[in-house]
Amino acid sequence: MNSGYSIKDNVIIIDRELTELDLFVRKFLNILTRYSDYLIVSGFVSISTGRSRSTEDIDIIAPIMNKEKFKKLFGNLVKNNFWCYNSDDYEEAYEYFKNVNSIRFAEKGELFPNIEFVPFDSKKRAKNFEFNNPQIIKIKDFEFKIPPIEFEILYKELILKSKKDIEDARHLRVFFSDFIKKEKFIKYKPIILSDLK
Amino acid sequence: MKLRTDLDYVDFYAEQLKKDNKIFKQQRKLIESQLKSSSSLFKNMFGRNFVLNARKYLRKRGLI
Repeated sequence: MNSGYSIKDNVIIIDRELTELDLFVRKFLNILTRYSDYLIVSGFVSISTGRSRSTEDIDIIAPIMNKEKFKKLFGNLVKNNFWCYNSDDYEEAYEYFKNVNSIRFAEKGELFPNIEFVPFDSKKRAKNFEFNNPQIIKIKDFEFKIPPIEFEILYKELILKSKKDIEDARHLRVFFSDFIKKEKFIKYKPIILSDLK
Repeated sequence: MKLRTDLDYVDFYAEQLKKDNKIFKQQRKLIESQLKSSSSLFKNMFGRNFVLNARKYLRKRGLI
């Protein structure tokens, strides 16, 4: 029997084949990373590490970018077979984005899965922290960035709190029980709670 | 070990997965079958004017 994951140079390596969902996320990231850094948060973190549940959206956070960069990103996404739920017009979509509202993208002719593209600004301490302290995950040749596992667990337990989130957090606690560190929970808790104030 | 609650199942599954990566195959089947069903459902529902009808539906659901 091979274990579900291993660690090499602090990269979590998940020992499994890529799914159609992974390929969709990879396609989006291949375009996004030409224009912006990013972090995948929430459901996909648990699902990519084995949680057995369905999902409709993949949450990706990114700092607010300028209009010119956004125009190029939007154009490239459309050219590569994505459509934006919110608008076909990049200027209209940018209005949402620059006002710190999410926008969503799916592949043309599909509704799900979709990418919920979530902008954040410097006011959000927790988002800035996780963004600047990413954990790398690798599945075959697909590498992507997620929050530190302990941070993701606490965020789900303390902020999101739905049944689905509590179960996701529990999956991460059990699956990564040999990897997670108690002192990190203590360090991250006040950072996460600071976003509630 | 008796599995009583949903969290018991989550624990059990995560423990098994940690020990044996073959279980990922089941997870892959679940994910891909969901994507297939959802794709076929919405293609039939929205027809040729996919984007227009999809946006009407998304507005009703409060997603845009």
